[in-house]
Amino acid sequence: MIDLSVSLGRLRLKNPILVASGTFGYAKEMAGVVDFARLGGVIPKTVTRHPRAGNAPPRTFETPSGMLNAIGLDNDGIDHFIHYHLPYLRTLPTAVIANIAGESEDDFVAMAEQIGREPGLAALELNLSCPNVAGGIDFAIDPDLTGRVVQRVRAVCPLPLIAKLTPNVTDVVPVAQAAAKAGADALSLVNTFVGMAIDWKRRKPILGNVTGGLSGPAIKPLALRLVWRVARNVKVPVLGIGGIATLDDVMEFLVAGASAVQLGTVNFYDPTASVRIVDALPGGLASLGADSVREVIGTLRTG
Amino acid sequence: MTSLVHATVPVGENVRLARDTYRIRLDCPDLARAIRPGQFLMVRLPGSTDPLLGRPFALYDTILDGTGQPAGVDVVYLVVGKLTGLLKEVRASESVTVWGPLGNGFPDLPPLEQVGLVAGGIGQTPFLAHIRELLGGRGYGGRPAQQTAQRVSLFYGVRTADLAAGVDDFRAAGADVHLASDDGSVGFRGFVTQRLQQHVPRPAHLVGCGPEPMLKALAELACEWGVPCHLSLETPMACGLGVCFSCVTKVRTAAGWDYRRVCVDGPVFDVQALCW
Repeated sequence: MIDLSVSLGRLRLKNPILVASGTFGYAKEMAGVVDFARLGGVIPKTVTRHPRAGNAPPRTFETPSGMLNAIGLDNDGIDHFIHYHLPYLRTLPTAVIANIAGESEDDFVAMAEQIGREPGLAALELNLSCPNVAGGIDFAIDPDLTGRVVQRVRAVCPLPLIAKLTPNVTDVVPVAQAAAKAGADALSLVNTFVGMAIDWKRRKPILGNVTGGLSGPAIKPLALRLVWRVARNVKVPVLGIGGIATLDDVMEFLVAGASAVQLGTVNFYDPTASVRIVDALPGGLASLGADSVREVIGTLRTG
Repeated sequence: MTSLVHATVPVGENVRLARDTYRIRLDCPDLARAIRPGQFLMVRLPGSTDPLLGRPFALYDTILDGTGQPAGVDVVYLVVGKLTGLLKEVRASESVTVWGPLGNGFPDLPPLEQVGLVAGGIGQTPFLAHIRELLGGRGYGGRPAQQTAQRVSLFYGVRTADLAAGVDDFRAAGADVHLASDDGSVGFRGFVTQRLQQHVPRPAHLVGCGPEPMLKALAELACEWGVPCHLSLETPMACGLGVCFSCVTKVRTAAGWDYRRVCVDGPVFDVQALCW
């Protein structure tokens, strides 16, 4: 029997395969598509303090082996989330990790305090890094801001905390270290890489928001390197994200140092991939002679 | 929620109907049994990440086997980009990946004298199954055939004659077909909504699918006539499932408007709900 369970700080998961925020709706949309009980965890779409209409369409655009998105945190706000989505989410037979984004430190603190009182959540992920929100602050470009938000949230919210970081920085390690030092139980990386697409004939940007975040298989090598660097240099566990779509991708991220992974864009184009990967995971571990996920995490041989 | 079919299925045939327009037949009984007119499915080419995403296509019609059981699904598509360019090269017995049924489908209508269906460009594709359903030729999604319209008139506008696809199918299903073309090479010369305006008697219900300017003209006409009207929208989609929030359109709400997902709240909307 191969042990698929993993621990990320105070958070324990039955397996390391989660679905990423913004790629799985509020889970209800995927009932009848995915057997939630099989997943290590579900992270619903980012919630903000107040309702947000989101960006004008077009909101997504396909690129070679990838896609750009600029949804703009379209959501109905935290009160609606708690009253409308959370009652369903807390019935799911898997770990549910809420994801919040604030436009200010105080937003994060207020939401974390509010959501921390709700039963049925396994952890809280802080979206410190949405690239598509005008007026908001991209907290995770700054180690000090990141540390302050994590520390203040930690003081008011009893849930295990995950800080979701942006790759759009010169060096992600200082930001990751700041989040860890401030008390994050784990780090999620990476969010999307900022990019753009242009219709040169009309001399117009294709996305309504002009720029968007690149995701999908195209970003996997970039994400893999960042996960590897952070896992080597920061003491807290890492949830790897970035173009993961197959068992091989998962194994690569585990070996690079991720303790768990989040599947994102693949949920759009291969909606049952998550469950198939969970099924295949014991075979992948067995092929390395491992009896548990833990045995392969961070075992990259660079010598 | 009903279960979704997500499968890699064999292609029965993939034939040219008109210029740049093809009909692909997918051997997928589970999907054929469940899907209703106005709903759609996502189609993706397996084994490649370029193109990465599936594309939404309306149900053209279901295909029945020798015993009358749903066995397959027909989709009609216009070659416009990377995926459709590759799709037209797919041969019989090769496979494509599909998921569906998706979206709400056309609403059930009360018994009516005449329903007018208004199509522009490739917007005719959802209407074949709808014609059969309205005239009681066939039931879909496990429901028995039941006639609700005495007559179905299809107003179908194209840029030019050789782009008209499926006209024989629409006539065979029992609709009277009124063509319009921008250049006058077939039918009425001008916009399909202008052709509709000349039609007597006025349909008791209108359904539109096509480019946005056509839909807006239809919406105005329906409003002027006081005739109920539903529109089937086409927007770029990444998932078709309601999880990506790409395909939004502005819908009226108590507070003004909000973006709603075309894939799960549509693709068929009452024209009065849309905020254009």
